[in-house]
Amino acid sequence: MKQILVIAEIFAGQIRPITWELVTAARKIKNSPGLKQLSPTIQIIVPADNPALLSEKIAKQTGIDVIGLQIPELKNYTSEIYIYCLEQLIKKIDPSHVLAAHTSQGQDFAPGLALGLNAVAISGVNGIRSDENGLIYSRPVFNNTRNQMLRPASNRPVTLTLMPGTFKPDERKDGEPGRVDIRKIPFAPAVCGKEHIQHCRTVKKIFEDQTLEEAKVIIAAGRGIKEKEELKSILKFAQCFPTAAVGASRPLVDMNWLGYQHQIGITGATVAPKLYIACGISGSSQHLAGIKDAEFVVSINKNPQAPIFRHSDVCIIADIIEFIGTFLKKQEI
Amino acid sequence: MKILVCIKQVGSEGEVNRFDAHALEEALDLKDRFETQLSESVTVDVVTVGPVEAARIIKRAFGMGADTGYHIVAEDPEYVSPFVTATRLASAAKKRPYDLILTGIMSTDMMTGQTGPMLAKIMGLPCATAVIKTNLPTNDNLIEVERELENGFRDCLKIRMPAVLTIQAGINTPRYPRLSKMLAAGQKEIKTFKETDIFPEPIEEREIYIGLALPEKTRSGRVLEGSLPDKAEQLLALLKEKDLI
Ligand SMILES: Cc1cc2nc3c(=O)[nH]c(=O)nc-3n(C[C@H](O)[C@H](O)[C@H](O)COP(=O)(O)OP(=O)(O)OC[C@H]3O[C@@H](n4cnc5c(N)ncnc54)[C@H](O)[C@@H]3O)c2cc1C
Ligand SMILES: Nc1ncnc2c1ncn2[C@@H]1O[C@H](COP(=O)(O)O)[C@@H](O)[C@H]1O
Repeated sequence: MKQILVIAEIFAGQIRPITWELVTAARKIKNSPGLKQLSPTIQIIVPADNPALLSEKIAKQTGIDVIGLQIPELKNYTSEIYIYCLEQLIKKIDPSHVLAAHTSQGQDFAPGLALGLNAVAISGVNGIRSDENGLIYSRPVFNNTRNQMLRPASNRPVTLTLMPGTFKPDERKDGEPGRVDIRKIPFAPAVCGKEHIQHCRTVKKIFEDQTLEEAKVIIAAGRGIKEKEELKSILKFAQCFPTAAVGASRPLVDMNWLGYQHQIGITGATVAPKLYIACGISGSSQHLAGIKDAEFVVSINKNPQAPIFRHSDVCIIADIIEFIGTFLKKQEI
Repeated sequence: MKILVCIKQVGSEGEVNRFDAHALEEALDLKDRFETQLSESVTVDVVTVGPVEAARIIKRAFGMGADTGYHIVAEDPEYVSPFVTATRLASAAKKRPYDLILTGIMSTDMMTGQTGPMLAKIMGLPCATAVIKTNLPTNDNLIEVERELENGFRDCLKIRMPAVLTIQAGINTPRYPRLSKMLAAGQKEIKTFKETDIFPEPIEEREIYIGLALPEKTRSGRVLEGSLPDKAEQLLALLKEKDLI
């Protein structure tokens, strides 16, 4: 009987909600036509220095059996500790699938773990389906303009990192909690008893203001804005609205054209305005993650194929500067 | 100190992957900082796996200040497993005792983000992804870096070199290639290897490529038709109707 393993995402002693999405995906794999007859079981691995409480919480929430992977040295996450200890645990289990989150943490340890397990490794999975030959995984490629479909070439274990927001967490009906089994695997650094990666501290960039989070209207600029000067157009556009905040895709913030408090997306702000206007933004998964809860999305882009158009209510194919110019004239009338 | 930067050619115009330009800049910037503060010399080499034309990005890297370029020539089908790429890159990374190997956080075409961490695992080296800041290495071969997490968080780490770092945009502004360096680069030799010479047996692909599809739509995507003024007019009407303007 093969196992489907889920690696819970723990950050600063807390369970990250993506863990529930991973469980949904694991259930989908378990119930896929190819695997169903083999009746695989799901287990959730919870790595922590003291995993008992977290494990019980997860077992109760999901009704699935949990392995609390106790690593006394794991005060803070490092890829070195994760890869070393997970590899030892998982090799013994010899699972069919290992699921981790496509987050800063999962992307950091999963590829190394996959090679340690001699596994197939597919990252950024945003869809799972099956045909007569088994499971097919899709993942974004070419700046998110296409999805690439892959299947494993052999029956090695498969490690997947799943794009956040792809699978809805299952509603939990009251039921029996899963069993919790604590297993201790100390981290023993391979070389001269010293670790290679030492965690010093975690810091947080403070948002200077919260206007984006609260804004009803957000006008957001992307790399369709070619020069810093052109941002003036965006500001004028924003002034058409009673109160509108200016947002930006990451590259504009990276170039210091706008401050970090304007950045929207997975490494910036998550926003939920009534109106979001994306100006020259292509629609990467990392940007889209920040605007899922926007009520109405308008995008202006000169490329009819831009992925953002698949995630917009209204699409305007136009040069952004020309469009704003025309819009301002219309509004004056 | 010896640094190796993995650079990839992407896109229809054959440009350097955006994140790799940041990785190369960080290597050159470490060199500048190192040489001024510690007066120890630093070499920055680059390596690429790609078709014959990919030599262009190595020349560009010379123009930015890279010392030696390795080109593993491989004419690949539409899909190459990141494991295969990492295995090929490892063959170049083993040529000299590199203290640091830098890659981009991801390529903009394949977007796996796996090549760097896999290269590290193959070589038995520690790895940190999404690096957004580096400090100068200390005498005991430790380098302090910051890696970017979600929501404005960062982890500060001390890593024992040799190590692999994957570089996130926002760490620096890549310099432009200098004409004088580009001209001098004409004399620099690119060390070219045929992939079939290094790997007589093909490396096993672990995934089967099926094809491409359009991403699913999440919203209705009504396209406004007509001339530019027509489109502006329609948007204005729509926003008024919704009482947003
Ligand atoms: C770990 C990680 C985290 C990230 N976090 C974030 C994040 O939080 N937020 C974020 O935004 N990104 C993030 N990114 C970056 C992300 O992958 C994309 O690179 C980025 O979102 C692209 O920004 P863009 O759409 O402005 O630029 P591009 O992708 O370059 O798109 C520019 C668009 O403008 C259009 N255009 C060009 N000229 C014009 C014109 N004259 N008129 C109209 N349209 C025009 C083009 O057709 C194109 O669609 C992250 C990346 C990584 C790897
Ligand atoms: N063909 C290649 N040649 C050189 N470096 C590569 C190649 N493919 C990937 N890389 C490196 O690995 C990083 C991550 O790429 P990827 O795993 O494709 O997202 C890139 O930013 C490059 O630094």
